[in-house]
Amino acid sequence: MKVAVLSFAHERAATYAQLLHDMPDVELLVADPDGAAEDPARGSATARRLGARYVGSWDELFALRPDAVVVTSEVDRRRELVERAAGAGAQVLCEHPPAVDEADARAMVRACEDAGVRLSFASPACFGPAFAAVRKEITEGEVLGGLTAVHGAYNRPRPAGAEAARSGALGTNAPPVFDMVDAVLGGIPAEQVYAQSNSVLGAEPGVESAALVTVRYADGTVVSVDCSWGPADSGPAVGGPALTFIGERASVEFTAAPRLLGGFDAATSRERWGTRGDDPYAVMLGEFVAAVRQGSGAGPDGAAALRTLRIIQAARASARTGQPVELAVPVTVQP
Amino acid sequence: MRQLEIALIGAGLIARMHLEAWIGAGASVRVHSLDGRAAELAAEFGAKAVDSLAEALDGADAVDICSPTGTHRDIALAAIAKNVAVVCEKPLAADVTEAEEIVGAAERAGVPVYPAHDIRFAPAFARLHELVAEGRLGAGTVARFTVAGYHPRPWTGHASVESGGILTDQMLHGVDIAYWLFGDVVRVHAHYQGEIAAPAPQGTAAVGTAVLTHASGALSQVVSRWTPTPQPPIRVTYHVSGTGGTIVHDSEWPQEIQVSGGPAGTFGYYGESPFSSEIREFAQALRGGPEPRLVSHDALAAVRITQAAARSAWTGRAVELPVKGAAA
Repeated sequence: MKVAVLSFAHERAATYAQLLHDMPDVELLVADPDGAAEDPARGSATARRLGARYVGSWDELFALRPDAVVVTSEVDRRRELVERAAGAGAQVLCEHPPAVDEADARAMVRACEDAGVRLSFASPACFGPAFAAVRKEITEGEVLGGLTAVHGAYNRPRPAGAEAARSGALGTNAPPVFDMVDAVLGGIPAEQVYAQSNSVLGAEPGVESAALVTVRYADGTVVSVDCSWGPADSGPAVGGPALTFIGERASVEFTAAPRLLGGFDAATSRERWGTRGDDPYAVMLGEFVAAVRQGSGAGPDGAAALRTLRIIQAARASARTGQPVELAVPVTVQP
Repeated sequence: MRQLEIALIGAGLIARMHLEAWIGAGASVRVHSLDGRAAELAAEFGAKAVDSLAEALDGADAVDICSPTGTHRDIALAAIAKNVAVVCEKPLAADVTEAEEIVGAAERAGVPVYPAHDIRFAPAFARLHELVAEGRLGAGTVARFTVAGYHPRPWTGHASVESGGILTDQMLHGVDIAYWLFGDVVRVHAHYQGEIAAPAPQGTAAVGTAVLTHASGALSQVVSRWTPTPQPPIRVTYHVSGTGGTIVHDSEWPQEIQVSGGPAGTFGYYGESPFSSEIREFAQALRGGPEPRLVSHDALAAVRITQAAARSAWTGRAVELPVKGAAA
């Protein structure tokens, strides 16, 4: 199976390339023709290091008919790349956000639907067997009863990449959390969004480094989450989101990357923190590639990413005005 | 690829877990046991039951011995004589002489012996060993291991207090991990308390407290306990120190899923069963893959150390263990 990593603008592109390259039945293609001003050879250098095939132009890349692509470009290039992938019949795994503008995101979703390709989003916490067990349990409701409220946090530190950092804590930390909630609620839309933010930790004025978001969904479920950046050196202790799902009878706490090992590491003079060892990005790419092979879908789809994008945009508006934002009943994407 | 043929001997609790894991690893299994339960167990998993050990071993790639410890030697020697590889539930044998007989016969015949010490495949211990093997702990200094659990059924075999009784079984876990991390053990001291002779009823309480001195100078403490009631559930902890820091674990730390409130029968997620990882690794080795993380000599070392602990508890003296190549 041919899988292409499209651009190295996103900080995790190299990680994805490495993980895909390590899969025995995947032929990795790498393309980064737009490069970066400060590091024009980043894509070809990564390809050379991995021994993967580097492709010098988008035309050439799509002419090779990849079975799937991973879109890790700058946000404003994602629509074009997703539309071209759809045109080439390639299944797509796209980084968040799909686009800055909701209209662009809708166009991407429509292009994939029209072409019959599955558009998936890179929310690692939505993949893996433990989260699947939580989803199943909440759906069945036998232990928890009906879901009433969700609270939790994702406090990943400010990312190194400039573009991601400019999108603020809401841009970097809210998508995985709201994708998880969307998966558990089965796509029920948000009705009201309230958010407060500050930029105390941020280096850039006006870019939020802390944000609390409260959402009421159409079925009455209330979700309140902390999407703030953690301290820069907080390390793997904040490796993944943690959410508590409160039901009518009981609650369940889900921690995406819990501590398995602790202790003290003399080499770094820091606390040790080890997890079970399943790399969440490896799990995500493994499920994505398996779904491509089976012709099924894995992880949040385009419609889910649109719902998440609407929540984040409403959260930004709410944080500006200080008042909750009511969301209109969303229009279903029609072909 | 040709399907592995496994002769599973025994039809108890461990046999059931191994059978499920072998089926999961794609093997074909014939089950034989002397307690009349083989047919029922085999039927449940779509395996077949056979009436004799000879029939079970005929054409098998490996025997998996899950019968009572006292039967391990004869079954293992019968398999080795037919050039059938041996997978054996811990302990490999009831005493050092029998364990040496098995390992010696296997070496002479060139037949592999893979002891099933499932704890090496539990993620907390597998990760611990990875870190230590990568040098992240530096030189090992002191380690402490605890296991506390309830035995879900009566012990039916016969074992004297002098032999270590029911503690030998559980003590082996901590001892095996200490040996895996820090290597050969040269001195053992232990106290065994409780009604440890078998047969013993369900709910028998016992505690073993052992100190191991490794050839490297590192020290290990193993506290192993059968609890009288099923609650609290099994708890495993360790605290391992070296020049590079410490590595600690407590099975009570919350993992991915934690439920509070609500009715009984809650759910959780603990990753792949250690039995599945273990049997898969053995199956790969039997198909010509890499050697598994533990082989006959590890089983022999574990039996030697647990038997030394039993002897120490019985005599009240520390027991010296000879190590080949070590200065006298």
